[in-house]
Amino acid sequence: MCKECGCGETNGNTRLQFQVTGYTEASAKDAEKALLGLPGVLYVHIHAHDGETTVDYSPKKTKLMDILGVFQARGLEAAL
Amino acid sequence: MAEIEVMKNILGENDRVAAENQALFREKNVYVLNLMGSPGAGKTSLLERTMERLKGRTRMAVIEGDLFTSRDADRIERHGVPVIQINTAGGCHLDAPMVQKVAKKLDLGALDLLLVENVGNLVCPAEFAVGEDEKAVVLSITEGDDKPMKYPLIFKESAIALLNKADLLPYCDFDMAAARDDIQTLHPGMDIIELSCTQDMGLSAWCDWLLARIAAKEEA
Repeated sequence: MCKECGCGETNGNTRLQFQVTGYTEASAKDAEKALLGLPGVLYVHIHAHDGETTVDYSPKKTKLMDILGVFQARGLEAAL
Repeated sequence: MAEIEVMKNILGENDRVAAENQALFREKNVYVLNLMGSPGAGKTSLLERTMERLKGRTRMAVIEGDLFTSRDADRIERHGVPVIQINTAGGCHLDAPMVQKVAKKLDLGALDLLLVENVGNLVCPAEFAVGEDEKAVVLSITEGDDKPMKYPLIFKESAIALLNKADLLPYCDFDMAAARDDIQTLHPGMDIIELSCTQDMGLSAWCDWLLARIAAKEEA
């Protein structure tokens, strides 16, 4: 963040790492797109082969349940 | 399952003043757009073309935000539109108290549209509401098609993405389809207009978008 003014010192964002089982290449891409479409999600990185999924988001704008809902809707199991 | 929450609201005071500004603008029935984008994206040029096209069709004023100088305000003033320059003296964004201070100097009752050009920066301005109705982001083709995913917040916060310098597409390695897809991924349904301020492309669509927003606020 900006060093000039110190704005967004914490940025209010949270980074979560999920272990997701059940990814295919296609479902990983689809999940990534759906997660990024949530209002507070700013960054998603998915390793489809081992299920490691990183999500940066603002809890003020998106609830954890909304994120989990993306996995569930695609038949994926996610654990923190 | 553990969730790490970082909820300290460092923007709380700004949000409070932004709400005051918004109430004032609602009372005066002025549509306020917070125009953001990188330095050199073409924000001021877009405002100049906008004023040329909307002069006589809507009553407008501009608040200009820059670290230093009144160069942008000088450009706007030549178009005969009321303009106030805010110099942040190093600050990387406008905030609500800055806008509140200068808004008092404008005859808001005589305006339909207030355009706030934020400091050139793709990061911080997106985090600070100034009391606007909506935000808009200007991204120029020369900046690269990777910018939406690199700077997602500004695209999530904005109601419209204006892809400027579209006339330079043949000379730049900019994948328009990919950029549009990334923007729609980050903000499903977001309005996108490709335009060129120098070649008079897309400006009618942009002005129609603005006029529709002003009319919607008047009807609300």
